[in-house]
Amino acid sequence: MSQYYDIDDILADDELVPAVFQVAANGVGLFDSSDEMNKVEQGSKVELPFWLARELHLRQAVSINLPPCFNQKTRDELVADAAHVDLKNRCPYFYELGCKLFSLVGDKTIALLLLAAFQTRYKEVLIKAQTAAMTVAPKFLTLLTKEETKLYEAAQSSMSAFKKWRMGGPRFQRASVLGRKRRPSD
Amino acid sequence: MAAQSDPQGSEFSAAELEFLAEDEMIEIVPNMRMESLNLISGDFGPFHPQISTQVPLWLAMALKKRGKCTIRPPEWMLVEKLMQVLEAERDSQKSFQPLPFHYVEISRLLFDHARDDIPDIYMVRSLIEDIKDVRFYKIGTGLEVISQRTTALKLNHLTAMEVNIVRPFLVKALQTFNKLDNPEIHKS
Repeated sequence: MSQYYDIDDILADDELVPAVFQVAANGVGLFDSSDEMNKVEQGSKVELPFWLARELHLRQAVSINLPPCFNQKTRDELVADAAHVDLKNRCPYFYELGCKLFSLVGDKTIALLLLAAFQTRYKEVLIKAQTAAMTVAPKFLTLLTKEETKLYEAAQSSMSAFKKWRMGGPRFQRASVLGRKRRPSD
Repeated sequence: MAAQSDPQGSEFSAAELEFLAEDEMIEIVPNMRMESLNLISGDFGPFHPQISTQVPLWLAMALKKRGKCTIRPPEWMLVEKLMQVLEAERDSQKSFQPLPFHYVEISRLLFDHARDDIPDIYMVRSLIEDIKDVRFYKIGTGLEVISQRTTALKLNHLTAMEVNIVRPFLVKALQTFNKLDNPEIHKS
């Protein structure tokens, strides 16, 4: 598993997904704290973090539904104008979560949705990264998911490093630790 | 590569590219006499006054700083040639003109150290800037067309600095498209 140590992967796993318990479970009343008894009834809906939901799904204890960020409202917005949908607010790990959910939930349209959304937004990221206008950037950045932000930063950093180099400046710089001589305290 | 400590950094820094560019050969006219230099990278010289020789750029810079030579600008750096290149770049929408691989770095080095050896330096400088901007714009439009079906991207005659700037963005974008594309195979 190449992403075992990837921080973003771990954080993506932490997103909540709604799940329906297929069996009654004892000792996990934390999920459904409506009554005093320490158990969860069959058929009750809870929100679980994805890593837990996946394991329980493999043991056939829950069935996973789509989280609210994939609902019809978001889909309509993406169809209308993908570039300006605030994905970060809904789910900062939109694409990763979608890929993981794909095999677990019986909904085949996620892949198309993700792809179409990404294609449109990617173009926007590209254009914005190249123009690098300082005024426009902050408003746009708040709409991007983690993945898209990384993409944007990759483009930005290399471009700005190049510009900085082009400005000139000394070719050799004294390391800052060599700066002032401190009098030895005695 | 200075960025190796950072796992996300996969490019050279601009200063490293400049260092690599200094291996290119350039013509100088020494104004002193020196016997030949036998260096690991090759033998240069012997240097006679007013007789031009080919040396690597780093050696030319060093000699120039000590006032021991004048540098002759390379042929691609003449105003007419640059104007032709600029015209051709502006005319062709998709393809790039062949340019020396390190033209950005070489031109910057020469502007900094050999200012008096280049005729019409302001003109040359602005032309090179324009060429660079047109090429970058073309790279941008070229990158817009990649989609999930793209497996590889081919951009002809791209120079070192442009490749370096585009590399991290392009690699990440292709990776993401590939990742989103995989479920499609399992779909049917």
